[in-house]
Amino acid sequence: MYFGVIFGNARNGRTVYRCGNVKKVGTIMESDKIKIQGNSSDLRAENELGKCNNSEQPEMHRVLELALEAGCILLKNGAEIFRVEETIWHICNRYHIEQMDAFVLSNGIFLTAHQKGEENFARVKYVPLAKIHLGIVTEVNALSREIAAGKLDIEEAFARLEEIEKMPPRKDWQLILASGLSCGSFCYLTQKNTPASCMAFAIGIVLYIFLLFARRYKLSKLIINIVGGGLITVLALIATSLPLPFKVGFSQVIIGSIVPLIPGMAFVNSIRDIADSDFISGIVRMLDALLVFVYIAVGVGCVLIFYEQVLGGTIR
Amino acid sequence: MIQNIVCSFLGTVGFSVVSNVPREFALYCGLTGMTGFVTYVLLLTYMSPAFSAFFATMLVVLLSRIFAVWRKCPITVFLIPGIIPLVPGTYVYYTAYYFVMNELSLALAKGIDAMKLAFAIVLGIVFIVSIPRQFFSIQYWKKQLSHHKN
Repeated sequence: MYFGVIFGNARNGRTVYRCGNVKKVGTIMESDKIKIQGNSSDLRAENELGKCNNSEQPEMHRVLELALEAGCILLKNGAEIFRVEETIWHICNRYHIEQMDAFVLSNGIFLTAHQKGEENFARVKYVPLAKIHLGIVTEVNALSREIAAGKLDIEEAFARLEEIEKMPPRKDWQLILASGLSCGSFCYLTQKNTPASCMAFAIGIVLYIFLLFARRYKLSKLIINIVGGGLITVLALIATSLPLPFKVGFSQVIIGSIVPLIPGMAFVNSIRDIADSDFISGIVRMLDALLVFVYIAVGVGCVLIFYEQVLGGTIR
Repeated sequence: MIQNIVCSFLGTVGFSVVSNVPREFALYCGLTGMTGFVTYVLLLTYMSPAFSAFFATMLVVLLSRIFAVWRKCPITVFLIPGIIPLVPGTYVYYTAYYFVMNELSLALAKGIDAMKLAFAIVLGIVFIVSIPRQFFSIQYWKKQLSHHKN
């Protein structure tokens, strides 16, 4: 097969050659599949090919670590399984690692690679579930495109990846305000009741302050959702029992305020994973989404029971 | 209707900010969510909620795939906020509510309604996601057309 052309020898004994559309200086890798042209460089190229196994080894570790790191960041911030696999594959392919197997689950990546039948790299990486940050997913995706196009060398790619990982989430006030906004407007969408959606707006703000607090102290998902559901209900009960001139049912307020707790990412990604036949990850994420709904229901239900049976209130 | 349009747009944009979608894509997210919900409401006069949710979801996914190919970014960015207005949060709440109020038959009815809607959304997503990727790129169709002519 014909993939590239050797131009000749540059200074300090390194070879200049072309592989595909990329001009390279340095050691020829076997996987570059160079067709040797011209007489003078024949011998040199043969020598280079002989040496390439030893000199490439550390390089291969770096590449696989880059691929693993990129996959880990993607998975952590809410990408689908096939996107993670594809990114790992693209990066490995770009740097000519062909004998590579990646197995990605919803919270772990298994990556092995070997060359010439001799095993060289095996890593299992546990990826804890974290909060979603679709901005990071977008950036890593763009980076993967650039790597696949051959625009970046490996150290630059590492630097970029580190930069992306440190990308901060939106400012707290923006998040809080956006949460209030979505609560208020979804309440209005389903209920068509202006006072109720104003209350939902306020409750959405309080709820998100609680969520930020909970994430800072890394509370478990169970606690966050049960307490979140309870908090909404308490606030809605208080808001609707205020002596106001208009009539607001507290169900209306709760339906709007529940929105920031809805596990949209887990739900959508589980469906997409199942559609791609990644059944294990899909089922795990589906269970995650279902459990979050159950937790919210438990939180809301407990407060309602307490209100009705212990405090003797009537539920309108 | 104007209220529906404005509120679904604002709500989806709000949710996209909460899930840290890059700033330049927030508008597209809002557009996706708005289209989905308006379709849902319009279809509701002709068919059952599950069916309208199915068609609305198909539209949402189609739109997000087009945006994703156009802006060269993951489809998730548009899909997650876009689907939120259709997620049956109301039904889930009423299931829990009637369950607590000890009206079990009503709770069951609402729960099954929620399941129906969820399945409709699942089917809508699966149908559109299964369309091969090249169908969404303009180059592919140009190539097909020129093949046809020759």
